[in-house]
Amino acid sequence: MEMPNQLSFLSIDIGTIFFTLCNLLILVWVFKHFLFDRVHKILDQRQNEVSETYKKADEALENAKNLESEYTGLMENAREESAEMVKAATKKAQSHSEQIIADAKSEAAAIKVRAEEDIEREKKRAQNELRGEISELAVLVAEKVVEKEISEADHDRFINDFIENVGDLK
Amino acid sequence: MKVSDFFQGVREIEVGGPKIAFSFEIFGFRINLTETIIISWLVMAGLIALVLFLTHNMTVKPTRKRQVIAEFLVEIVDNQVLSAMGKEYKWFAPYIGALFASSIFGSLIGLTGLRPVTADFSTVLTWALMTFVLIERAKIKADGIGGYLKSFINPLNIISEVSTPVSMAFRHFGNIGGGTIITSLLYFALTGLSLAIGLQFPIFNIGIPAVLSLYFDLFTGFMQAFIFMMLTMANIANAKSED
Repeated sequence: MEMPNQLSFLSIDIGTIFFTLCNLLILVWVFKHFLFDRVHKILDQRQNEVSETYKKADEALENAKNLESEYTGLMENAREESAEMVKAATKKAQSHSEQIIADAKSEAAAIKVRAEEDIEREKKRAQNELRGEISELAVLVAEKVVEKEISEADHDRFINDFIENVGDLK
Repeated sequence: MKVSDFFQGVREIEVGGPKIAFSFEIFGFRINLTETIIISWLVMAGLIALVLFLTHNMTVKPTRKRQVIAEFLVEIVDNQVLSAMGKEYKWFAPYIGALFASSIFGSLIGLTGLRPVTADFSTVLTWALMTFVLIERAKIKADGIGGYLKSFINPLNIISEVSTPVSMAFRHFGNIGGGTIITSLLYFALTGLSLAIGLQFPIFNIGIPAVLSLYFDLFTGFMQAFIFMMLTMANIANAKSED
């Protein structure tokens, strides 16, 4: 039997149908496995990554806000504390300086009193010395006067007058 | 070649089907390894290679253009399926994608001078039968086997069921097959035109068929693939909502 080497233009060929069906099913499997599933996996991964990134960003923002309020509170406290410290230090310094001034004043007063006492003492000592010298001098003068025969009474009067006069000198 | 010889030739134009490369018999069936089958293997191998190339080494942060293309294609098909069929048919996307790719590249292979796979009625009939099976499956799932069988009390329903795949197959086959017929007729006509004005070399055969093939191969190929895909989706999705 002669084999036709060509089908007619409009023909239904069972072999072609079978192979076409196989081809289509294989292609569907390849498309599903190597194109759609792969791409979907990548897209899902990307979606997850994006939402993860957003979540992280939100968390970071939340953290930053918390830290900000925390630090603002701390700063406020620190400012109050420092103001208090400055105030206390100022007060302390003021009282300290007042103390110093008072001490200095009292010390100066004490020094002055002592100095006055010293001066008084010196003066008295000098007077006494002077007095002694004068009496010696008086004796000497008296001797000289006595030599010129002055009576005992005159002698005493002279001395006393002299001393009195000298005493008036001071 | 004389003009009269040419017109003698026109009378003998025969538009043949796919050639048979090899033939064998299994269980009483004559299995022909036709041109269509071999070319469809070529198309399928090309598509598989393309898919493997596009999705090779994909990363979460895309660094290659081909990954962007793969994601773009997948999203287009996903969106088509989602808008035409709804969420419950999302898993259909690979089938629709494979069908569309087979159809469009089966037609476009004609641009290389090979016989388009879709110009063989058996090919598109297979796809249409596949759609038919899926439609009936959806109907049985929606109405139950009893409700499904009850719908055939009116025998007109049988005709309406059968007419869907038949019309789909003939539409696709007719457009692509018709295109090949017109193209071969055009070659004859242009050769005749050159001979009529006294040229031995068929100068009109350069360029003009290429422009027309833009319509018959590119546009029609794309159009028919799109129509076939849309009809498949619409019919399967409608199977559920129809009574």
